[in-house]
Amino acid sequence: MLIFDQLRKNDRRLQTLAICVLSGLSILLLGLWYVQVVLAKRYQASQVSQSFRTVRIPAIRGKILDANGTTLAENHPDYNVNLYLEELRPYFQSHYSNTLNWVTKELGKAGGKTKLSRAQRIELGKQTRFQVVSNLVARVTNSLGVPFPLNEKQFLEHYDQRLFIPMPVFSGLTPPQIARFVEQSGNLPGFDLDVQPTRIYPHHSTAAHLLGYLQREDAPMDEDTFFNYRLPDFTGATGIERAFDESLRGKTGIKTVLVNSLGYRQSENVWSPAEPGQNVYLTIDLTIQKAAEQALHSGPEGTHTRGAVVVMDPTNGDLLAVASSPTFDPNQFIQGLSHDELQSLNDYKLRPQINRATAGVYAPGSIFKTVVAMAALEAGLNPKEKIYNPPDPSEPWHGHIFVGRRKVKDLAPPGDYDFQRALIKSSNTYFITNGLKAGVDRILELGKRLHFGERTGIPTRQDSGGTFPTREWQQANLGGAWFDGNTANLCIGQGEIAVTPLQVAVLISAIANGGKVFWPRLVSRVEPQDPFSNYQPVEYPTAHVRDNLNVSRRSLDLIREAMHSDVHDADGTGRRAFVPGMHICAKTGTAQIMQGRKIVGHTVWFASFAPYENPRYTMVVMVELDEGIGGSGSETCAPLAHQVYLALQKHEQQAKPNKPGALAKN
Amino acid sequence: MFEPHLNERQPRVDWKMILAIVGLMIIGVAFIYSAKPPFETATWYKQYYVRQIIWYAIGLAAAISICVIDYHSLARWAIIAYWATLVLLIAVLIPGIGTTHGWGARRWIDFGPFQCQPAEFAKLSFIFIQAHFLSRPTEELRQPMVFVKAIGLTVLPFLLILKEPDLGSALVLLPVGMAMCYVAGVPTRFLLRLVGGVGIFVALLLVDVLFAPPGWQPVKLEGYQRDRLLVYFGRDFASANASPDQRHRARQKQEERTYQVKQALISVGSGGIKGKGWRQGQQTALRFLPPDTAHNDFIFSVIAEEKGFLGSVVVISLYTLVLFTGIRIAGQARDRLGKLLAVGIVALLFSHVFINIGMNIRLMPVTGIPLPLLSYGGSSVLCSLIAAGILQNVYLYRRNY
Repeated sequence: MLIFDQLRKNDRRLQTLAICVLSGLSILLLGLWYVQVVLAKRYQASQVSQSFRTVRIPAIRGKILDANGTTLAENHPDYNVNLYLEELRPYFQSHYSNTLNWVTKELGKAGGKTKLSRAQRIELGKQTRFQVVSNLVARVTNSLGVPFPLNEKQFLEHYDQRLFIPMPVFSGLTPPQIARFVEQSGNLPGFDLDVQPTRIYPHHSTAAHLLGYLQREDAPMDEDTFFNYRLPDFTGATGIERAFDESLRGKTGIKTVLVNSLGYRQSENVWSPAEPGQNVYLTIDLTIQKAAEQALHSGPEGTHTRGAVVVMDPTNGDLLAVASSPTFDPNQFIQGLSHDELQSLNDYKLRPQINRATAGVYAPGSIFKTVVAMAALEAGLNPKEKIYNPPDPSEPWHGHIFVGRRKVKDLAPPGDYDFQRALIKSSNTYFITNGLKAGVDRILELGKRLHFGERTGIPTRQDSGGTFPTREWQQANLGGAWFDGNTANLCIGQGEIAVTPLQVAVLISAIANGGKVFWPRLVSRVEPQDPFSNYQPVEYPTAHVRDNLNVSRRSLDLIREAMHSDVHDADGTGRRAFVPGMHICAKTGTAQIMQGRKIVGHTVWFASFAPYENPRYTMVVMVELDEGIGGSGSETCAPLAHQVYLALQKHEQQAKPNKPGALAKN
Repeated sequence: MFEPHLNERQPRVDWKMILAIVGLMIIGVAFIYSAKPPFETATWYKQYYVRQIIWYAIGLAAAISICVIDYHSLARWAIIAYWATLVLLIAVLIPGIGTTHGWGARRWIDFGPFQCQPAEFAKLSFIFIQAHFLSRPTEELRQPMVFVKAIGLTVLPFLLILKEPDLGSALVLLPVGMAMCYVAGVPTRFLLRLVGGVGIFVALLLVDVLFAPPGWQPVKLEGYQRDRLLVYFGRDFASANASPDQRHRARQKQEERTYQVKQALISVGSGGIKGKGWRQGQQTALRFLPPDTAHNDFIFSVIAEEKGFLGSVVVISLYTLVLFTGIRIAGQARDRLGKLLAVGIVALLFSHVFINIGMNIRLMPVTGIPLPLLSYGGSSVLCSLIAAGILQNVYLYRRNY
């Protein structure tokens, strides 16, 4: 062997030389082995990190649809113009060298130093690049007739930090602008049209509280290290958009951009494509929802009426409409809010962002007498038995009752009351007397089965439990001191009780359907947009029973009958809701809003179901009134309910010919 | 020296070495082609790989013509060649004659279409004069004066090349001179003393560069040389008591200076075992490896990235073949002159290979030392091939005819 022959030489010094050379070469080989074999992974990783940029691509957000498949939230293509800077490199170079020549010549003429320092050349490069880009952008602005959008600082920032993605120049192009741009973009280097899906709520403020809105998402801390750039993305802030954010959002995609040493984009590779989000189907019926909102907006303060309407299917707990007023337009949040818009959204009194139907808690007032009625009837009250309501000495046209030393006024006129008349006239004297007779425990037990004081479990999160006294609550808050006065207060729906309109709808549904207390259902199913997707559709069960009232049929029939008379008798408080051809059963209520010992306003109610024979709808209307504005459940809410019932009747008649039983199925 | 197969016909040239050299030349052209930027717009005959082929042709012609004349006759011209290159080395320092090519150092002399680096030729003429000088009887080599003169012959071109400045090329003369003295039979104690002296000097220099306060620099190094040493030893550019602003600037400068080394390492390391394939290297395509050095000083990074560790082994093997046939030729040479010529050339080629490849894997600091036959560059190719020609010359005239 050549090598070993040299190592075995008899010339000792030549032999040493051979050994030196061999060991030198071995050191190199060893070093190369260490770098290329042992540390290869590390250097490969740093090569990838310096030449690849990962970009997060948001998926197309799923739609939100109503029970009939009408779109409530979808995406709308937004056209933007982007500038691909890597295509401008020849222009950058030629403009730079021309300028450099000119500068050198001028300096020569002036007789000074003609050579620019390195820093000066870098600065010149920056300036010439900006000149090239701004000239091109100016040509586009001229043809599109839009204001010049380029800002030197933003451009330099993009050039320094995000050169691997195209630079957005114009956004939100109108169709004529798109046409003009497409026509002329052929002779402009680097420009390209880009389509970006933008969230749109086609019905604007309709069901805004349920749908919620989106807000721009900032990178979470832990993801920061992985992505070099995130394309703009939105996340649900409230409502269904937030509750089902994960499903709606889909799977974000990842693309990698190969960049050169200057950061210019060389090529792109989509690692994992974005998968579109899933569609969320609500139980809401857009027509009913719109009718409910319209009715609210015809309330005492127009669109500033503070109130709520809940329409529910008493047979299964499906929510057909959940309206809250005042409302807002969720589209505003995408475009960005002006100062005025923000002000009105945060109005202290109107609080348009609160969903009053599910998150607002109010004293139920006389509505609660239905519960007292159940308790009393179950305790053995004879509905025919009459109770005398004595006239109030100070207001002889009204009745009154003394509980201990406290006088409770009764707006019902003095006279004899049986069960039906007492419910229609909402006699405080009758229900306090019978409530006390039945005992507070029976009332509390019913409230517990109705799950007052607990959330209804709707997914939009704007879900308040309200307050309802329990034995434990009494212990904790009142030190066990529960007097007849407290019970009397409870019997007329005042005092230690507060409910949401949705909870009232659950109560009325239970009365209408024979005692089933449902979990209200808002979302019927979530299913992928692409039927061949890996995701399985998810169905949310309907008629999900939460509890049972355990109230006899006889008692419920008596209450239903009385509620029917409330609308159909000439002296019923709910007669303003009357709709020909529909047997509506209702109970009205007016509760005082106290601030200390002063009455500052009233919460007025209309709680109803229809038709009497075969209940298909439960409807609760609630309006907040300031003190001084005249109104009551009968005067304020019943007419609103009337409007919604009319719309329901019309809707049923329209739906019947083509889709028999479509509504019954809801 | 006793040859085992006297009756066999002896080959006149060493074919193994020639094969290795041809192999290296093929690799050289292939990877200079691969190292060209993706959108090269120069006409074909101006492109580096074409010019390299031309240089190979010229170099081969020069090598063959060298072989025509017996190295004894060539050695007679050694003194003249030596002084002539010294004159060129002086000339290159004069601004009107030498050019800098936009780099920091004045290393080139322009001859119209091509440029020449006199330092490269100085290495060859130095080997000739040294071999000629040391081929005197061994007894004379024991005299200290002779050794001092031998050192003097080394120091003269060393200082001139250092002045360009081209520290790398200058430093290469030292191991070459030492190896020749050693093989010639200069007493080891002389050499050890020299090595000790140089070692102490280098150590002092390093201490000065690495640890001395900035204002106090008895030995003046060029800024970039100091930076390269700082990079090599991984030292912070900012001094301990620098202000935040200075520190920031020093950091930036450090990043700039470390860039080449870092990218070369990433190229070599990311090649892995098998490499990414010819023309598939991303470091050059994306210009992370600076395009102005990828085809010459850092050609090995390109080969290592595209052909991996296996490619590196092939390259090292080819050099091993050249170097060891060189040592064999030294052993077979007819006389001490031939032996010393061969030893000088082996030492020269080895130094180049070791420093250049070592610099790609951060074993050595960055210097402008080309990789023989692989790096693009006329002077380097020409000198390497002439050197190979001299080896063949020694082999060819190993016997008296």
